[in-house]
Amino acid sequence: MTSRRSQAVALAAVLLAGARTLGQAPPGAPPPTAQAPSPAIDLSGYWTPALHEDSTERGAGPEMADYSGLPLNEAGRLFALSYDPSRLTLRHHQCDGYVAPYQMRALGNSRAWEERDPHTHQLVAIHWFSQTFEGKRTIWMDGRPHPPAYAPHSWMGFSTGRFIGTALAVRTTHLKQGWFTRNGVPESDQATLQEFFVRRGDHLTHTVVVTDPVYLEEPLVRTTDYSRQPVDHQNWLFPCDDGEQVLDRAPDNVPSYLFGQNPGVAEYRKKHPTAQSGHLGGGATIHPAFASAGARNESALERPVAGARVSSVAISPEPTDGDVHVFRIRDNVYMLVGDGGNIVVQVGDEGPFVVDTGTGRLADKTIAAIARLSPRPIQFIANTSFHADRTGGNLKLRTSGADPSVRGTFFSLQFPGAGVGATIMGHQNVANRMSDAKAAADALPTDTYLEERRRTFHNGDAIELFWTPNAVTDGDSFVHFRRADVIVAGNVFTTTRFPFIDVANGGTVDGEIRALNDILAKTVYAHQGQGGTLVVPGHGYLSDEHEVVEYRDMVVIVRDRIRALVRAGATLEQVKAARPTADYDTRYGALTGPWTTEMFVEAIFKTLRK
Amino acid sequence: MRALLVSIVLASSIAVADAQRGGPPGPQLPRVAAPIDLTGYWAPLITEDWRYRVVTPPPGDYTSVPMSPAARKIAASWDPARDEAAGEQCRGYGVGGVMRLPGRLRISWQDDRTLKIETEAGSQVRTLAFAGGTAAPTPGSDWQGVSRASWDRLEGPMGAGAIFGGGGFGAGRATGGSLKVVTTGMKPGYLRKNGVPYSADAVITEYFDRFDLDGGDVLLVVATETVDPMYLSQPYWTSTHFKKQANATGWNPTACSAR
Repeated sequence: MTSRRSQAVALAAVLLAGARTLGQAPPGAPPPTAQAPSPAIDLSGYWTPALHEDSTERGAGPEMADYSGLPLNEAGRLFALSYDPSRLTLRHHQCDGYVAPYQMRALGNSRAWEERDPHTHQLVAIHWFSQTFEGKRTIWMDGRPHPPAYAPHSWMGFSTGRFIGTALAVRTTHLKQGWFTRNGVPESDQATLQEFFVRRGDHLTHTVVVTDPVYLEEPLVRTTDYSRQPVDHQNWLFPCDDGEQVLDRAPDNVPSYLFGQNPGVAEYRKKHPTAQSGHLGGGATIHPAFASAGARNESALERPVAGARVSSVAISPEPTDGDVHVFRIRDNVYMLVGDGGNIVVQVGDEGPFVVDTGTGRLADKTIAAIARLSPRPIQFIANTSFHADRTGGNLKLRTSGADPSVRGTFFSLQFPGAGVGATIMGHQNVANRMSDAKAAADALPTDTYLEERRRTFHNGDAIELFWTPNAVTDGDSFVHFRRADVIVAGNVFTTTRFPFIDVANGGTVDGEIRALNDILAKTVYAHQGQGGTLVVPGHGYLSDEHEVVEYRDMVVIVRDRIRALVRAGATLEQVKAARPTADYDTRYGALTGPWTTEMFVEAIFKTLRK
Repeated sequence: MRALLVSIVLASSIAVADAQRGGPPGPQLPRVAAPIDLTGYWAPLITEDWRYRVVTPPPGDYTSVPMSPAARKIAASWDPARDEAAGEQCRGYGVGGVMRLPGRLRISWQDDRTLKIETEAGSQVRTLAFAGGTAAPTPGSDWQGVSRASWDRLEGPMGAGAIFGGGGFGAGRATGGSLKVVTTGMKPGYLRKNGVPYSADAVITEYFDRFDLDGGDVLLVVATETVDPMYLSQPYWTSTHFKKQANATGWNPTACSAR
């Protein structure tokens, strides 16, 4: 009886406490936080999109030059006009997934479920799985922060959610480059999303606001309706393997249309004579005033605006807080960012293997960061190029390290200093260029190679250094950690700028394209064209093959435009005036600094004229 | 066992008392009870179905609408000149179509129980009457029909204001809601201006949500379900979004046009 009374009192206390909590928050109490969300709606179940809006675009697919309703800026429109759907026949595009803002609008069913902490039953995440391309979204509800800007991007991005009134509000970052519509209208890797899910019984309305300064003049808002289904739709898988679709195609062939030559434009205008004005999109076209305005000259929008000077609006993923930040890539391989160029460190039973040393401005902090990863001294340093952002820390990092593999060998008998300090690897041209530049002797590579590759097995992994002749310079290499499946690309690939083709030191545009294709020849995606082999750019965020492919496409397309102009007899000034990079300027362009858009165009022009 | 029951009743009584002191008040005027503010000027962002909204689509282009065979037959005979001659050039501006047209909205309280939506397109006026609101027009006499409004609030599993107050277990902290509007008794009109019909028996249910965005912009999303067994083969869902304007800039009501 005593026991029952105790239970009753305890239950009453719990109920009372609950009633007070639920009925009335105490004065001054903080608002609910994302760490303790109060589920306003439950998305769990099977959902089918209603195709009562834009059904052609979402179903069979849009017409080639129909960008109506999209607030595209010049870069977005020109990118789309340049897009040749044959690009999807390229091996590395065949399995491209959909990015979140398109996935939520696409044809196909979805399934949602909640993930709860098994002990507290607090909501940890909401999962949303889409049939088409197996889009897997995770909306974190536990208050975790978004990853740093140098973390990888994905089709679905990184999403966090909270309940606001009757809606689930979601914020998404770290998206890959993808499309808003399947006729090539681009969505950039700089896009961020605000979303709202509102459920009423068996109906769900999804609102997304896409902010993408690279390709949009103003945010793109879309609303999509779903109906809840009582049973499992089945058929959730969407397998994809790439293969040869066009035999004997040159590896540097990326299908695209030159500006003003997209055949879909005339096709559209012929088919839709009453809806011509506005079909190439733009911010103005989505507002009421456009409907009452006179016809717009669409033809003028098919080519870059002459004389416009446009620079990148992308956010730099490189920290500038004076610290070196460590990011684990996979297994025992780490990326160090902050010293003006990405550094990679592999650790294990042997001494650390370091790829590139940054500018050296933060070399002491780099050494300290590596010391936190491994108690052993740095044993090897590999340089992907002689450029200062790859080799600036060579001297300090080498001095801090040691290479025990040569101590006590005949080397040390001949060279008393052998093994004192880390061994620096690099192509012979790296050593030559550094020597020409009067770099300190102890900063130069001592373990050099002349052709193809240098290989070693270290810390339990096969490591290969592949020389890529005449890309950015004549001494570039990329490094492949085979077991970890991480490629360190050096400045051949960055996510922050047009490739720094250093013509004076042996760089060429065709060599750059070959180097990017060499990297792609070694990558394997994990699923739907993403993940798998990870690629560390010289600058920017940790990538996979998709970012390399988009970058390769960009270099090829710009080269092809400049080549067409050169063949037509254009001078360098005429080429620059034609703005052959116009659709990429908001992503990579620079008007000032060490590597401007004009320098990039000039570098291609020069190497094509050689 | 008796002690347990007494304890539960006691706890419940205290909870109810708490709710009465600080919990939800009694019935309020709809204007006072509004969980969201919908008043102001709203400009549509025409990012969907653009070709069917910014211009009048050509005859025969009914993409995306789940039309019944009867509707196709009606639409195939669309003749704007005939509508004009009949004085029915506002057929495309009725409640089934006007929210999709490229015009702004002005939303205001007509009185404490009636919201009013004025449309730039076709200069239409919709009155959304909450219980006790201003009497709507005679059914069947108006393009906009008879609209009944209610606040669609978040409710817990026990319903709003249930025994524990605040909306039941687990839902107590959530606030907010939507405006729900059910419209019937309208004159038959067009879902699209090129003659896609809805009948006088259609039932149109709308949900108005307001979203405050990072950066200060405010969105209004109107999710609309049109049920019309005569002309639709399934419920027709659209969701239309508007951005709030700071003022009346650009407000320019226009007359109906059948073309």
